[in-house]
Order: sequence, then structure tokens, then C-alpha cells
Amino acid sequence: MRCLLFSLTCVVLLGCVSDYRHLLAVQSDGSCASKIAPLYMETSWYNTSVDVLGKHMSGLLLIKNMPDSSKRVVFTSEAGLTFFDFEFSKEGNFKVKSVISQFDKRSVIQTLQKDFELVMGLPFQKGDYDRFIAGEEVYFGVKQKNETAYFITNKDCASLQRLEWGTARKRKVSVQTPGSSYPSPEKIDLIHFTFNMQIKLTRIQKE
Amino acid sequence: MKKLMRNYLVRCQSRKGWLMACGFLITLSIPVFAQYPGYNAVIDLPLFKKKFKTESASLLSIHSTFTQEKILSALTEKITSTGEFWFKRSNKVRIEYRKPFVYLMVMNGDKMLVRDDQKENRINVKSNKLFQQVNRIMIDCVQGTILESKDFTTKVFENDKNYLLEMTPSSKALREFFQTIVLTVEKKDYAANSIEMNEPSGDKTTIFFTNKKLNTQISDAVFAL
Repeated sequence: MRCLLFSLTCVVLLGCVSDYRHLLAVQSDGSCASKIAPLYMETSWYNTSVDVLGKHMSGLLLIKNMPDSSKRVVFTSEAGLTFFDFEFSKEGNFKVKSVISQFDKRSVIQTLQKDFELVMGLPFQKGDYDRFIAGEEVYFGVKQKNETAYFITNKDCASLQRLEWGTARKRKVSVQTPGSSYPSPEKIDLIHFTFNMQIKLTRIQKE
Repeated sequence: MKKLMRNYLVRCQSRKGWLMACGFLITLSIPVFAQYPGYNAVIDLPLFKKKFKTESASLLSIHSTFTQEKILSALTEKITSTGEFWFKRSNKVRIEYRKPFVYLMVMNGDKMLVRDDQKENRINVKSNKLFQQVNRIMIDCVQGTILESKDFTTKVFENDKNYLLEMTPSSKALREFFQTIVLTVEKKDYAANSIEMNEPSGDKTTIFFTNKKLNTQISDAVFAL
């Protein structure tokens, strides 16, 4: 019984530990932030695979900068059927231009909206970052409602390590770009930490 | 003078009426020619269906290359992919995308294999009605049984070399994906030249079949799942 209580206490305490407990707030550093912030992504097609809750699907994803400075994210099957078309306006508005019924669920659309906002670096457009140090990494954070978007660099600001969405305690999503980085990342790996979902993008060299 | 004027006005009015009638007729006839330039509607549809069924039944296999163009009209974007295509009567299709991405789709009866660069999936299309319908469209288009499909209403046009079949989905489930599917087949051998899938958004995907080899021996292993 004592053993069980001890185990339960450990589980509860570990569950309360914040993923961001090591962050140490420091004075902002505009020069690093302006040099490395992922503020722009070039128009590109990506070969895409999505694994969500044990299901796998693939397709082609277009991230396009429009002449009116809005951005469009379109996901199609390899055979050409459009699954969804999302618009992210310059003013920060989001609009579903089209979506098939299989994707047309509030939770799915909200998740994808936040995922692609982070991939395209939209939360960082506003600037005014809070700066934190955690070991060998520097976090630049922008608060949005009850969540914070981070871009994380190494200590000497030489490279972008990853992007994250997190609440005060919990890391929710991470985006890494192995290979070349912004503005035209070759590969983008997005992982959710609060449920089982991964998106892998590989840039297509159009013929 | 008054009489002359009246006659002139009557003549003008009748000329106006004639012009309006002509205009109306031209307007009526424009969509057929404007939509599919060079094509005329096939009048005797039952006869065409009978001939189409007989002739396409002699098409036992197709091995070809293909070029697929996906056009996102509102975004002025186009992506072109190429690969290899196999069909064997009946109900066996293999589509292998090679460039600029790798993707394999094999349909064999009620079963389907999908392989992307990450994973391989085997699907029983019977368990998914939509998969079953989409799978059926491709097979029906290439083996010439699309005219028997209850999923579409079909209009048929022709020019001297090709037949053009414009298919409009009847079911709500398919209308979500396709506004029309336009299939062109060659008159000389009834083999598909192209399949154009028009989406409600205005986007379209066209598959052009090239280097076609008809009725050659294709091993069943090509369609192994």
C-alpha cells in the first residue's frame, strides 16, 4: 500500500513538471532574433506523409505566397484530388477555402491551422520576442492567447534548432528542418507531443 | 413617304427579330463547341454504347507511360508528374509515379496496395465505399465499362480521331470530388488517351497516356499485392 502511494505521488509530481522549467528569462537580443527568425518561406511543393493515431496517409502539399501577401496551404492526393485549401491572410485571419468532408472537423482544422502557422513562422511576424536561455539553447517566444510560439537557436545564434508551440507547462508541437533551413527548408518534420501525430514534408524539385 | 417609313421600320424589326433568333441559336450551340472545340455530340447514344462495349472488350491489356498535370486554377500553380501504367483485364491496374515523387498504387479486384516513400498500405476497398467508387472509376475508364456505371450520367462527343465522354457524377459523395470526368478514347483501338478530373473548386488533374502498348503479355506479378 505504501509502495502504491509512493508510485502514485511520483506519477502526479512528474506529471506536474513543466517542460519549460529550465527556461531562464534574459534581456532580449534583437540582432540574433532578426538574423535567424523564420519569417519567410518560399513557395514550394512538398511530398507529404501524415501519421495520426495509427493511421497513415500521404500526398502533396503546396505552400504558396500569394501576390496579396496572403499564404495558401493546399494538400492534394498524389493522383490529384484536393483534400483542403487553407488561406492565411496578411492580417492574421484564417479561412478554409475548401475541405473534403473527411477533414471537415473543427478539431482537425484547428490543429492543422496551428501546425502550418508554426511551419510558416507566422507567429513570429509580429516581432517583440521574449528571450530565454536553457542550457546550450536560446528560446525566442511570442505569446498567443494561452500558448507561446518559440523559435530556438543554439547559444551562439549560428543555427535555428527548431520551432515549438507550448503552453506554460507543456511542449505541444515541434518543427525541425533537417538539412537546409528557412526560407526554403528541404525537409520539415512536425511532431505533436500531446497526441500521436507526425507530419513529414520533403521538398519536391519540380521538373 | 409615311408608308415607306413604316415598311422600313417593319423590315428593321423583322431583321432585328431574325438577328435575335440567330443570336439565340448561336448562344445555344456555343457551349458544345466552346467546351470541347472540334467535337460534335454523338446523336445515337444507344448504338455508340453497344459499339463501345464490344470494341473495348477486345482491349485485354495496356502498358504505357503517363504524364499527369494537376492545375490549381485559383493559385496559378501546376505540378507535373510522370510514371508508368499497366492495365490487365479484368480489374487490374498498376500506376507507378516516378518523378518528381515516388508513389505506387496497385488495384487488383477488391484489393488495393498503396506505397509511398514512407510506408506500404493494403486496403480492402470493399470496406470503404468511397475508395471502392474512386477505384472503380479508374478501372471502368481504362477497360471501357464506364458507360455501364450507375455512378455517372454521360454525354458523348466525337471528332474524326477520338471519342470524348463527359461524365457527371450522380451521387453526392462523388460530386464532392468531381464536377465532371472527361475521358478521351481513340477511335482506332478504343484505348484511353486521357482522363481529366475536374473538381468543384475549378482545379483539374489530367492524365495523358503515352507510348501505349496494347494487348501485350503482362505478368500477373505486376499486380501482386
